[in-house]
Amino acid sequence: MAKNVMFQSTLSGSGKSLITAAVCRYLNENGYNVSPFKSLNISLNSYITVEGKEMGISQAFQSWACGKEPSHYMNPLLLKATGNAASQLIVNGSPNREIDRKDDESWDILTAVVRDAYMHLEKKSDIIVIEGSGTPAEINLKDIANMTTAEMFKAPVIMIGDIDTGGVFAGLFGTYSLLENRHKKLLKGFLINKFRGERSILRSGIKIMERELGVPGLGVISYQRYKFPEEDSLSLGATGKITSVEDDVRDVWLNNLDSFLDLVKRELRFDVLNKIIENGLS
Amino acid sequence: MIDVDDKIMSQFKRGEMGSNLECKYYPCHYYGQNCTHCFCPFYPCEDNELGKYIIGRSGKWVWSCQDCYWIHRDDVSEECLRRFKGKDWSSMSIEQRLDIKKEIEKKHFKRAKPIMVLGATSGAGKSLMVTAMCRLFSNMGYTVTPYKSQNMSLNSFVTEYGEEIARIQDLQARAARKVARSHMNPILLKPIKDDISQVIIYGVPYKDMDVKTYYDEFLPERGDEILVSSLDFLKKTNDIIVMEGAGSPAEINLSEYEIANLRAAEKADAPCILVVNIERGGAFAYLYGTIMILEESKRKRFKGAIINNMRGDATSLEKGIGDIEEMTGIPVLGVVPHIDLELPSEDSMDIKDGELGSRYIIGVLRLPRISNFTDFDALSLMDGVGVKYISDPKEVLDVNILILPGTKSTIEDMIWLRENGFEKALKQAHGKIPIIGICGGFQMLGKTIIDVNSVESNIDSIEGLGFLNCTTYFDRFEKKTIQVEGHLNTDPLKRNIRGYEIHMGRTENETDPPLNRVRANGKNSDDGAYDPDMMVYGTYIHGYFDLPPARELLLSLIGEQERLKDDRIDNKQMDQVIEENLEKLTKVLEGSIDIESLKRIVGV
Repeated sequence: MAKNVMFQSTLSGSGKSLITAAVCRYLNENGYNVSPFKSLNISLNSYITVEGKEMGISQAFQSWACGKEPSHYMNPLLLKATGNAASQLIVNGSPNREIDRKDDESWDILTAVVRDAYMHLEKKSDIIVIEGSGTPAEINLKDIANMTTAEMFKAPVIMIGDIDTGGVFAGLFGTYSLLENRHKKLLKGFLINKFRGERSILRSGIKIMERELGVPGLGVISYQRYKFPEEDSLSLGATGKITSVEDDVRDVWLNNLDSFLDLVKRELRFDVLNKIIENGLS
Repeated sequence: MIDVDDKIMSQFKRGEMGSNLECKYYPCHYYGQNCTHCFCPFYPCEDNELGKYIIGRSGKWVWSCQDCYWIHRDDVSEECLRRFKGKDWSSMSIEQRLDIKKEIEKKHFKRAKPIMVLGATSGAGKSLMVTAMCRLFSNMGYTVTPYKSQNMSLNSFVTEYGEEIARIQDLQARAARKVARSHMNPILLKPIKDDISQVIIYGVPYKDMDVKTYYDEFLPERGDEILVSSLDFLKKTNDIIVMEGAGSPAEINLSEYEIANLRAAEKADAPCILVVNIERGGAFAYLYGTIMILEESKRKRFKGAIINNMRGDATSLEKGIGDIEEMTGIPVLGVVPHIDLELPSEDSMDIKDGELGSRYIIGVLRLPRISNFTDFDALSLMDGVGVKYISDPKEVLDVNILILPGTKSTIEDMIWLRENGFEKALKQAHGKIPIIGICGGFQMLGKTIIDVNSVESNIDSIEGLGFLNCTTYFDRFEKKTIQVEGHLNTDPLKRNIRGYEIHMGRTENETDPPLNRVRANGKNSDDGAYDPDMMVYGTYIHGYFDLPPARELLLSLIGEQERLKDDRIDNKQMDQVIEENLEKLTKVLEGSIDIESLKRIVGV
């Protein structure tokens, strides 16, 4: 059985995808066979695999970070907004019109799709690095991509707080507080992303969070400006066809990722993260 | 008393209103006071909230109303005139007059009622919420003022009084139908470089300070005094103060002297409203976390919450809202939808690239210390024109017109421009596309920038781009902040332009003619410079493009003036666009939040 770890965040756009990619790259450098996984991606920027299957661009990028060819199993559900509240659901790399996401029966079908995809990856990986979607504390939504996924695959969860817009401790504390008790137990650590300035001023706040959440802080990661494929940008065009010209772009992305990883290695407590992965939920 | 009454009666009859600037005692109460009731019809009111008995020069007790601002407010004066109209005022007893005073007090409070809007994160929409509330209460007939004790922004505005404040407070003042004053934003921090800001107090530059000095020395010493004095003035001259916080109030590591958030609420004794942005999710978590992480004494100030920036159907939030109200004990006043407005932007985060598909692109160089980029809002309003912020030298030749914007540090940004390949790109573009400099950008267009007294940096002198034959001198630590009016020298009709200057240093033209003729404080002078073929020009004026003449010049340079009729704002000027957007914003607020509850929270 593969080990795993999952990154979730208190706001969308907190840098989950990138941190997931960096952790993938780090574990891969350390000799593990690693795969990224995101149950449900909501994005207009997709990638087409060699098999002609459609998946989120971020998981493709994370897959390259693992030194692997992207596979749609890494992102079995992809939701593409097509305008005015309508959207297209991609299941296992192909558009699916039959599933009405709102009824209960489809919930069972979708969780089954997610489970099968994960199990497929698990057979071929030592470690699976899972990324959540949006935020886990939407008390008005039934959410498959965050705590449901973590629970299904018994993944220890690391919560990412974005400090760039302020209120990071309120965000972490609020997100934790609104989780159901059985989900709170899955949380094994938190980290702060996009920090600028003098980091010593965070010390007391982090202590308070460690006490309130009962889990260790894994570090404070600096704000960075490298270019990466953004889920919401138009850099790859709507069809997501990758041609030979854009192969260069991929190299740029991976070079940037290596620079980012150098930074993360200094700022993230990988010793603690390694232990969390090693111990799992036990 | 008879001649006093006569004086007042004759003033009433003449309908004299406003400040009497010629009076040698002006301002006997405060700057901007209304002198209509130089002699108060309610004297001696014996209202301890407005005055007190003192021992006069004669040794007798006299009623002193020296610190009374109430009767000298425009709204109170006008109401007073209305109430006394047609009445034989000289035959009324003091009791009868004081009954009238009581009536007026019901609507025009002796002490303004405050309300404070705070955000769970920055960019939650506080500023616009304050703007909308200012207009909302003004529409109800109250005299309203915005207030933000401390603002950190590079977009500043110069008031009629020559004071520099954050631009957003000017917009809020307009929403309140007020003239902007430095009391509305007594401290402005303009970031210069990492951790160092220029501190501006009551509209006047005070000092450059690092974060530590500011929080550890300056605020403990002067913070409360500035907070209290500005609030006190506004309280005495308004019915309602709509206060704005800064960032999140729940930063558990902030200094206790932090004056921007709950300390200001405490000093003003203001009820608080929390605004949460739902755009990136986590709204309920941030609402709960922000409220519950605060100590109880602070938590008690929160009387309501607003969920902002909702796209889609708000009814999907109903269950969540019910749950969160129960968990926090704080009512959610409403869910405000996402709206697109054409109003000046505040933070650099709000810089938007021009819409894709624009026929013409005006490129604005994204200098590291770019300032007053609200100058370009007027350009992005023109049909067929997109404003694009350029951060890669390769993009320089892709635009139709290039603008070097204002900067907080001309010399530092000139070095940045040189070191990052922009100088080379600009030299290639020179003569091919028009290049325009505003303020700091104008200084860069000249041959040399000289700063031997280290006013702006430690570098004595630096070469500019050399596109214009002029030299900038930073010879004294003196900042020019002034509103100007005038016309373009290239405009045969000499139509009016207006704007404001915020800069240190002065620029001397050698051979190039001045671009504009301007008036300020009754004096005429030259501004800017242009290269006779109009491929390069520069000006010190911010807000330059707000009125048509400067935009027309710009468009004529693209050679498309005929085809590209700027009809949208040719007849509708920037002011009108703002006015319409303010009303639109206020309507949206009225339609989405529970106004009765809001009024109850304010106490009106």
